[in-house]
This record gives sequence, C-alpha cells and structure tokens, in this order.
Amino acid sequence: MSAVRMRNIRFVYEGCDTPALNGADFFMEYGELALLSGVSGAGKSTLMNIICGIIPHVLKGNLDGELYIEGKSAKGLSMNEICRKVGVVLQNADAQIIHDRVESEIAFGCENLGMTAEDIAHSIDTACERMLLDKNARTRTLSGGQKQRLVTASVMAMRQKILILDEPLANLDGQGARLLMTSLTQLARSGYAVLVIEHRLDAVMQYVDRVWHLQDAVLYQVKDKQKYLASRAEYIDDGVGKILGTGDAFSLEKVSYSVSKKDILKEINLTVPKGGRMLLMGQNGCGKTTLTRLMAKLIKPTKGKIVQNVAPHSRRAGRRWFKTVGVVYQNPDYQLFMPTVKKELEFGAESAKYALELAERLGIEHLLDRHPHSLSEGQKRLVGVAAVLACKPEVLILDEPTVGQDYQGLKRMVGVLNEIHLDTGNTVIATTHDRRCTDALCDKAAIILDGKISDEGGKEKARAFLDACSKGQI
Amino acid sequence: MEKLSCRRPLYPLAGVFAGIIILVVGLLLAKRTYGWCYLAGVWILFFLFGYYKACLAVIPFAAAMTGIFCLITYAVSKDAQATLSAAVRILAVCVAVIPGIGLKPSDLVSNLCSVKAPRSITLGMMIATSFFPLLVKETAQIREAMKTRGAGSIIKPTVFYRAFLLPLAVRLVNISDTLSLSVETRGFVVGDKNYTVYKTVKFKFKDAVFAILFTAGTVAAVVTI
Repeated sequence: MSAVRMRNIRFVYEGCDTPALNGADFFMEYGELALLSGVSGAGKSTLMNIICGIIPHVLKGNLDGELYIEGKSAKGLSMNEICRKVGVVLQNADAQIIHDRVESEIAFGCENLGMTAEDIAHSIDTACERMLLDKNARTRTLSGGQKQRLVTASVMAMRQKILILDEPLANLDGQGARLLMTSLTQLARSGYAVLVIEHRLDAVMQYVDRVWHLQDAVLYQVKDKQKYLASRAEYIDDGVGKILGTGDAFSLEKVSYSVSKKDILKEINLTVPKGGRMLLMGQNGCGKTTLTRLMAKLIKPTKGKIVQNVAPHSRRAGRRWFKTVGVVYQNPDYQLFMPTVKKELEFGAESAKYALELAERLGIEHLLDRHPHSLSEGQKRLVGVAAVLACKPEVLILDEPTVGQDYQGLKRMVGVLNEIHLDTGNTVIATTHDRRCTDALCDKAAIILDGKISDEGGKEKARAFLDACSKGQI
Repeated sequence: MEKLSCRRPLYPLAGVFAGIIILVVGLLLAKRTYGWCYLAGVWILFFLFGYYKACLAVIPFAAAMTGIFCLITYAVSKDAQATLSAAVRILAVCVAVIPGIGLKPSDLVSNLCSVKAPRSITLGMMIATSFFPLLVKETAQIREAMKTRGAGSIIKPTVFYRAFLLPLAVRLVNISDTLSLSVETRGFVVGDKNYTVYKTVKFKFKDAVFAILFTAGTVAAVVTI
C-alpha cells in the first residue's frame, strides 16, 4: 500500500483558466525519501496543498482526479482528518511560530492530536535532539535557520507517518541542511514516507531515493536520478575571475554591534575591495545580515568605525546614498510596492529601456503586467534583484539572493549579475549558503563565526568552509 | 513588558481576580480617610510575593498621574477630601494592574488551557500577544526597505504611503494566512474537545498563602475602614 497515491489529478485555481496541475499521477511509498523539483512557480506547492487538504478546503478551485492517503480515498475527509495522517512543513517558518518557548511550540501539534503529556514530553526531547534545539529557548530570539528547524521539529514531534516539507532548506546553512536531511533519511529508513520540495539539489542529492519533476503543470518521475540531480547541482563557473577596481570600497575597523547586551558582531576588521565581489559566509545567526546592514548604513555600529569610499559626500543614509548602494533584501515582500512588475522595475531606474532590458535578461519579461505580490517567491526575488539593478548602483548588496531559485533561474541570475559587474565594475557584497554559486560570486570571501571573522581569502576559503560544513567539521 | 514579569508568578487567574477585587474595593474605599492604607498593604503584599519589578515600575506612573489628577481635582473643587479621594482612585488603578504587569501572557494562556477554556480564545490570546511585537518589527523592516528603494521621503506622499502600506498589508495578510494554515495543518480545530494540555498550571501552597492574606486584608479593610 502506498502512503499517498494520486491518479490523474487536475487542478485549476479559482479565477484562473490554465491548470496549476494537469493529469498528475504521483505516489509516495513508506520507507522512501522522495524529492519534488521543478522551476519556480511550476505548481510544486499546489501538489503539496492537494495532498494535505489545503486544496480544496482552504484554497478553492476545480479539483478533478483521485487521491488516496494510506490506501483510503481522501474524498470527504476533513483537513483535520488528513493532517492527522500527513505532517506538513510549510514555507516561511517565521510566520508560523505562535508560542514564546520552543517546548510549547513543539507541544502545540501534539496537544491537538490528543497525545498524553508523557508522550508529548518524549516527542519534544526527541525532536529537539534531532534538530539541535534547546527546548527552553525563547522563540523570538532564534535565527532564521533555527526557526526553520523549530517548525520542522514541531511537525516531526506529531509522529505522522507521512511527511511533506516545502523548501525546508531555504534558510538553512550547510550544517543545518545536513542535519535535516540526515534526520529525514533516518525517518524514511524507519518506515516513514517523506517528500521534500526543494531547489537546492546539491544539498539533497545524496539522500533522495526517488525524484519527481514538475514543469508546465505536468508531473513526471525522473528515470535517471543521478544524471538529473548532477545536471542541476553543478557549480556555476565564474565568468569574471578578477577584481576590477583598485582600493577599498569599505573598510571596517574594530566594528562591533550589539542588541540588548547581546553581541552580534565583535571587533570586525574587514576591507571590501572596490570593483570586487565580496562573499560573506557563515552559519545561521552568525551576523552576516547584520554586517551587510552596517555597510548599507541601515544601522550604526555600537563600537568601531566604517570608512566608505563609494560616496564620499554622502554622510546620511538618504536617497542619494541608496542610489549608490543598492540593497536587495532576503525577503522581497518588503521592497515591492508598485502595481505591476513593469512599474516596479521602472521605479528609480536609470531608464525605462534599461529596466525592460534587465527584465528580459533575467527571464521575467512575461511577468511585466503581473502584480509583484501575485508572483511565486522565486519570481518575486528576481523582480527585487532586477528593480535594484535597474538603478545601476555602484555597490550592490545581496542578502541570500538565490533562495527559491530553480537551477536555470539561478544560473541566469548569477550570469546577469556578473555581466553587469563586468560592464560597470560595481562592487558586489553577497551572502549565500548555496554552494552552486559561491565560486561565481566570489573574489574575496570572509567567513564569520560567532560574530567574528574567523577566516578570509579568495574562492578557496569559501570552498574550504563549505567542505568543512558538509563534513560536519563546523 | 516581559522585563517586568515575575519569575514565579501567582496562579494567573487568581492574580487577575485579585486585580479586579483591588480595583473595586479601592474605588469603594476612595472616600474613606484611610483607603490608601489598604492599597499600600496590597502593594507590600505583591512586593513580598515576588512582584517587586512591577511594584517599582508603577511608582513613577502612579506619582505622575496622582499629581496631575489631584491638581485638577483641587483646582476644581478646592476640597482636600475630594482631592484625597481622587488620589486613592488613581492609586487603586495602579495597584490593580500590578498582577497583570507581572504576569507573562503565556502563563495566563497556559492557565486558561489548564481549566479547559475554549481553545479559540486561548489561541486567539496567544496570537494577539505576539502580534504587537510582530507589527513593530514589520513596520521597522518596511521603513528600512523603503529607504533602500528611494521611497522613504514624505515629500512624495503617494509613493511614501504606497511603499509603506502595501508591503505592510501584504506582509500581515501573508503572515496571518501562513499562520492559520500552519495551525490547521498541525491539527487545530475550533471546538475540538479531545486535546490534551501538556503543561498545566497548578494552584500551589504559595498561592493559598497569598489568597488567605489578601482575602483577610480586603475583608478587614471593608469592615473596619
């Protein structure tokens, strides 16, 4: 008996003409860890929503075909009945946390299932051990990666035998990704049916037993798993290879930053070469984003000095400063506000022509008339990058720009970033956990560990750090 | 507010109930000459039972508000007794909020869960308590993001409000959507009675001692003052 079986499933969202899923035949087996991959916005989350009952109970539309869960038809089952069999980890961990303590958050699902207090206590301990969480920690103080591990732990603790995780590695560093995938493999080997929806194929390829691919609303099982995964996990080549400027764009001297007596960064000494590409790397919560915010003048250091040579007359972080220093946020929702993608790209752009040219180069020209907030996460991120690039900033700060990108989208984005870098000689400062693009985004790497620069150098340092992470040495 | 919370609070519902009693009795005793003695006694009782941070925190607020209201009352009535009554009323409110300030919302929710209060209420309370910090955080993030896109200036109000309100609305709707889906996919059903409570809040010896002292003091105040 399959854990989940779909036969000829077709789904059209309310108000849409084209199906999000067309004639899908799909199954999940107990004891297997499966991967669902595909381009951004192809309908991967739709498939998950159908299995766990969000479609049709919450999201409305036209659903045809048959769905069986644990051998029984899902027709007529309430969402609650389905969720007692199927555990789901949704995207956007930050928005899912209700309780103030890790322990209470994990207990929530178990309480709903009516588990005994002893069982809940045991489940909490096991889940915390698996996900390396402190059950007494406060949820508000957790980093993005820790929050992702928490929502995963809270579903694992509920002990459903079928687990589906939607982009669980999106915000996880190498260590977190390895930890999660190892745990999921162990669960699968102990008889669970696990499905991971993910773009970061390099981080999952060694663990998965079966691969599904979704393209243009059509789902198929990949026959040659190794070839498929290898072709989408190759490291992207660097098309630049040298620093294009001279001198330093930023020079940080003994820079510290603390919040509520907690030290986020401690006495950082760092130089960012002008016309170079600086890659900031480190585990979740190590202070990478804080460092980029300091350089962007979004916050001020608690101690130390930052000398910038990109806009010498710009003392304030005003309009002129951000014309010179473009910042792309980790979450694109904050930066998109115009009614269409076209207007979003044209806002503040050097010229409307250049903005449209960028849209074409980044492969989002077909989205120009769409509302930015109606796009998938990966598409929104591309729009965010394009909107900032359209202003032709001298310094480009990118915080995890590759999250949610399928392999082709990732290659294209990195390619465009490097082409523009070659054309304009801009300075690029990026943070990423994605090893596929580290080579292609790096002239100089700085490794941050517990708020301090632990190592710096060229690409070889970035590679060495990622290797150490994948071997569990960090 | 969590900085003011008591490390080992009283039984939360008892604390809330005590707050209501203090307010009612304080207002009833406002016209008595020694009404303030009751409030001072209760303040000391809370202090001794671990609510010292909250007790100390209300002093500046109480002093300022009492001063303002006493001045207004005296200016209007020229009556010392009426002014003293106004002071006692303000002090009653300030002392009544001490158990609330010293209580973590999560402890109150746990207590309500323990007594099997409807889950729609307890979950709603839990989400509501986390909403305001979230709103503050989101607002700050959006203001920051607006600056980075060159839309932070109030000179262009249409762009300013669009760049602020749209992302804020989208973020809040997205968060509430994700949150409700997450809660439902984790098995929460409104009206479900077959749920368990992992951590129950129990009425302890300390709570009984407080209840006896508080009740005795209140009864004595009502009878004698």
